[in-house]
Amino acid sequence: MLQLDRHVPSPGVPELNRRFRWLVTVVATAFLILIGRLWQLQVVRGDHYLQESTDNFRAEQWIPAVRGKILDRDGRVLVDNRPSFNVLVTPKYFTPEARERFVRLLGLTEDEATALQSRLGRARNRQHPVMVLEDIDRDRLALIAQAGAELPGVAAEDAAHRHYLRGKLAAHLVGYMNQINDAELEARRAEGYEEGDYIGRSGLERQWESYLRGKRGVERFVVDARGMRQPDAHALGLIEGPRFQPPVPGHNLVLTLDARLQALAEEALADKPAGAAAVVEVKTGRILALVSKPAFDPNVMTGRLTRAEESLLQNDPLKPFLDRTLRQHYFPGSIFKSFTALAALEAGVFTKDDRVFCNGKHVLGKRTFNCHKAHGWVDLTAALAQSCDTYFWVASERLGIDRIADMAKSFGLGSPTGLGLNGDVPGNIPTRAWYEGRGGFRPGYALNTAIGQGDVTVTVLQLALAHAALANGGELYAPQIALRIETAAGKVVEEYRPVLRSKVKLSPRSLAAVQRGLYAAVNEKKGTAYASRDAKILVAGKTGTAQVGKLYRNVKEVDWDPSQDHAWFAGYAPVQDPEIAFVVLVEHGGHGGAVAAPPAMKIVRGALGDDVTVKADEGVVP
Amino acid sequence: MNGHALWNRLRTHVDWPLVLTVLAIATLGLVNLYSATRNAPVRGMFEGQVRLMVVGFVLFIVASIIDYRVWLRYAWIFLLIGVIAVVGVHFVGNVVKGSRRWIALGPISLQPSEFIKVAVILGLARYVHDRDNDDVPLLGLAARGSFFVIAILMIAWQPDLGTASLVTLICISVMLLAARKLWPIFVGFAALAAAFPFLWSYALHDYQRRRVLTFLDPSTDPSGAGWHARQSIYAVGSGKVSGKGYLQGTQNQLNFLPEHWSDFPFSVWAEEWGFAGSMVLLGLYLFLILWIVNVATQARDRFGAILCLGVAAMVFWHMTVNIAMVIGLAPVVGVTLPLVSHGGSSVLTMMIGLGLVASVSIRRYAH
Repeated sequence: MLQLDRHVPSPGVPELNRRFRWLVTVVATAFLILIGRLWQLQVVRGDHYLQESTDNFRAEQWIPAVRGKILDRDGRVLVDNRPSFNVLVTPKYFTPEARERFVRLLGLTEDEATALQSRLGRARNRQHPVMVLEDIDRDRLALIAQAGAELPGVAAEDAAHRHYLRGKLAAHLVGYMNQINDAELEARRAEGYEEGDYIGRSGLERQWESYLRGKRGVERFVVDARGMRQPDAHALGLIEGPRFQPPVPGHNLVLTLDARLQALAEEALADKPAGAAAVVEVKTGRILALVSKPAFDPNVMTGRLTRAEESLLQNDPLKPFLDRTLRQHYFPGSIFKSFTALAALEAGVFTKDDRVFCNGKHVLGKRTFNCHKAHGWVDLTAALAQSCDTYFWVASERLGIDRIADMAKSFGLGSPTGLGLNGDVPGNIPTRAWYEGRGGFRPGYALNTAIGQGDVTVTVLQLALAHAALANGGELYAPQIALRIETAAGKVVEEYRPVLRSKVKLSPRSLAAVQRGLYAAVNEKKGTAYASRDAKILVAGKTGTAQVGKLYRNVKEVDWDPSQDHAWFAGYAPVQDPEIAFVVLVEHGGHGGAVAAPPAMKIVRGALGDDVTVKADEGVVP
Repeated sequence: MNGHALWNRLRTHVDWPLVLTVLAIATLGLVNLYSATRNAPVRGMFEGQVRLMVVGFVLFIVASIIDYRVWLRYAWIFLLIGVIAVVGVHFVGNVVKGSRRWIALGPISLQPSEFIKVAVILGLARYVHDRDNDDVPLLGLAARGSFFVIAILMIAWQPDLGTASLVTLICISVMLLAARKLWPIFVGFAALAAAFPFLWSYALHDYQRRRVLTFLDPSTDPSGAGWHARQSIYAVGSGKVSGKGYLQGTQNQLNFLPEHWSDFPFSVWAEEWGFAGSMVLLGLYLFLILWIVNVATQARDRFGAILCLGVAAMVFWHMTVNIAMVIGLAPVVGVTLPLVSHGGSSVLTMMIGLGLVASVSIRRYAH
């Protein structure tokens, strides 16, 4: 090796000459270890460390997308966004001292401090700001602004906060939002959701999430070890791909809903503790109003709701979160008689002029069924108008339960409406087979079914659509709530047409006979809703008084007895050329004609108002 | 002697491989330091280092021209002065990073703990010379040997654990090569090992213990010393085979490497020049060390041979410990990379030591 080989014996150090091999071995080993380690770091694991070093300086900041608005059919804004301030913390620069100061300065509770800690602990990228407090008030904003450099890694940023302009109006339909939870985050990470994101939690906010949400933008930049942005050209050259991606605002959702009518309908039910209403267009199935009482305020739900407030709402005996138009099913009571009547006429077991004598009771075997009064001789019109149970009991004995069920089902009763919101339960239309699956059929079941009791349950929206079909000649529409989707700039992206689900096979004569009965219920002296008739608008409808068990316990409401029957009124108007079908339910309201019909008439007046000015029944009524 | 003859003598006697290797390492060191200090908070570090390199090279030439045998007589005195300076600096020096190591001499600050390494090397050479030439009794040798122990303890007390360990390594290396019998050294090792728990508890400062523990388990200190060590590994590894390019090292330029001009210049080099660059620098060091050993084997006397072995050990241990620390094989201690790290005292010490080797080399044939 070099001149070492030409080693000249020197008087130097004899011991060195003996141990020379050791020296070479030690030096060579040391170098081999260093070289081996460098090989491991730079050649074998080079790509990994390059990634680590890149992660060091590469930083990005999201630019939130503005969520789309929700508007009614006339462009009234129901939901938009208001300016607010959120507190973001960048874990990397948020020292323990800063955290302590932060907690003390803002006076965070123990819970809040723990939540802060756990949220920061979950952050995947320590360089990425995490939202820790949202929609802070001005006092806290001022405190944070003043603290400045004393709170490293803390920043207050303005952000759009969801704003429900009309408060509780159509709350169940519109829904609310809150922060995405861990499980959802895992599942939907690929869709671009991140820690702290808001997500539609119920109603339209949930159903149309992907349209409303938009796409967040991002700004990428280079930071040094202290987190300072590096604006120079060299640093910017380190960024791959675009440095700035503008956010794409979410689409606006335009509803079929008429906010004015919705407000009016809610007003009409203002004095009822619990109930529901639905108004749909007869010729399209479009929803004009959908009321569920009591309601919640989405602004409260989409915000700083404490655990205590939330549990108070969740434990409210009146269940304000329950959507009574879709999620809850009810006994329809006498409202159901229209469909029993249609089944009887179609089956030919009755003509519209066949009469039945009602002496106030009907005997089946050993059981006696009591009608609410002795109606005497009744034909179909009178039976519907006066809601005579005996007539329909006789009809059911001739029909059998299955033919009633078939007719009800063909009007969409007992199956989900397909709105796809808030549960949309089917309810139940019992058949002989259904009873046989549950311990056997007894003839009395058919009698109960004929008058919408027993095991018949439907939803409010099902009834509204079924009455639209009664009015339009048997066309059963799918319920429609979205009219169109627009870009933030107002350009139409998608437009939705009415969807005809099915056409009920009926002879026009049968339908006309039932329509005549519904007309008589409102407009003839003995009709159950005669007292509530409108002076100008011709309305056809059917009252219902459904016997139910007590739904609520420990409820203290003034002037409300939760052991009363449910009050129903359903129908359509104007009779001349039906435009709207409606259903009103007042839970434990009592008699349908007395309790449910008056608000229903208010709603009809509100919906048709100036359109129908002259009450002209000549040539209209059969 | 006329000028022509002097040139001839220079040409034939000057140890050109040594000089050129030293210049090559110094040049790479400056090139690297320019990149490392470009974004440093203090201005003028690079210019200062260039001036010191020039001064250092002048000292190299001076040391190589002066016959090294002159120093034989002064070796003990130098060592004494060195120990006094190290102790003295404890009382009058400037505090930097918690310990007093610097003495201000006019415009420049000097670090006696660097210069004492040359004094120790001279002392070692004198010790072996005394052993072989004069008939010194065993007791006298032991007394002289204790000189080194005292010097090391003084440096450790300063406290400068890095320098103390380095001086220890130099002494042990030289004695392993030069001692007549090895058993006293092994006994010394055994004694040190036995005393370790005591030293750990009482002799080390908290921050020193913490550094060692952090090295053994980096997760105990993710943001402090452990973070530095990890960032250094990221820098080295991210250079991959060919490096990110000169002045393009992100770990360096964006200050993810702490104090990279003094403790971590090798990370800067490895990040910007890759495995290839690392091999070039390591190759230069390897050649330098073996060449100095080669000079030692050819030295005309024992004093010169031990002098060379001492300098070779100094360069070897400085380089090995520094790079090992940078690539995560040793705890982070303040040991400089010869001729590459920023720092006047280190550069001047290395240049003087290498100048002594050149002096030995020039005179090797003059039997």
